[in-house]
Amino acid sequence: MSGFTAFFKKEIVEYLRSYKALILLCVFIIFGMMSPLLAKMMPDILSHQAINGITLNIPKPTFYDSFGQFFKNLSQMGMAVLLLIFGGVLSQDLSKGTLIMLLAKGLSRHAVILAKFAAALILWTASYAFAVMIQWGYTLYLFDKLPVPHLFFSLFCLWLFGIFILTILLMSSTLVGGAYSGLFLTTAALGALIVCQFIPGTDRFSPLALASDNAGLMTGAANLHHAVTAVWITVILIVSALAVSLVVFKKKSI
Amino acid sequence: MTQISDLLPLLIPIIVLELILVITALIHIFRHKTYRFGNRVLWVVLVLCFQLIGPVVYFIFGRGDD
Repeated sequence: MSGFTAFFKKEIVEYLRSYKALILLCVFIIFGMMSPLLAKMMPDILSHQAINGITLNIPKPTFYDSFGQFFKNLSQMGMAVLLLIFGGVLSQDLSKGTLIMLLAKGLSRHAVILAKFAAALILWTASYAFAVMIQWGYTLYLFDKLPVPHLFFSLFCLWLFGIFILTILLMSSTLVGGAYSGLFLTTAALGALIVCQFIPGTDRFSPLALASDNAGLMTGAANLHHAVTAVWITVILIVSALAVSLVVFKKKSI
Repeated sequence: MTQISDLLPLLIPIIVLELILVITALIHIFRHKTYRFGNRVLWVVLVLCFQLIGPVVYFIFGRGDD
């Protein structure tokens, strides 16, 4: 495990210098601010587009709608941005050959994977935490507080789904070469998961449930028990994806 | 019925953040001559026309190596 701290610091500096940290923070903070506002303004926006003869009766937006909007934004656009930012997480170092020198100087290969994972995890957690805090503040200011069961659990689910994406990206980058193939493989894997959702009975086990049932968990529309199953399955997948990356990268010729 | 003007103080931070992204991207575009693909005009148009997505795509795909 030699060189973990040094490589970890190098990763963080690289995220800062390549503007990736800035983008991720800005985008997630914007989502955190935008979602409550969008929820608040939705009736006005829709009423301006009233088709003649049809009156749209939109119920007054509530606390739930604000978080519903937040989960919708983050599980779609947020995850897309996450994929783009971390798409080249290992593959770009491999395709540019920047790792060869470091590995030759005695940096352990396990340290590379773990440091990359740790840096990505910290960046994702920080941006997500900012988004959630701002979302919370704006929502409290704009809406009356309602008792929200499982709100924290819903937020946790989306966070875990983000980690799931990060580890799958890391694993795909060790499995295939090329600057963007890790990104493509991960997108393909997510596409396969979406297709699998059409098979009845499988959706309760799919990690995708963590990103799609968040709003439902708050209102009680989604089954909490199923979500807990999905959480455990995702945790197992995350750990095994990390283990696969460690093993494959150890044997990979660079 | 909420007036847009009531929410304006809350909208300003969003606009400021989006401007930060756009301006950082524009500064980077004008300071560099080579991009991974595309040319200067393409990236300026992309960054200005697509809020949020434009700067993200530029920094991920368009930014050449320093």
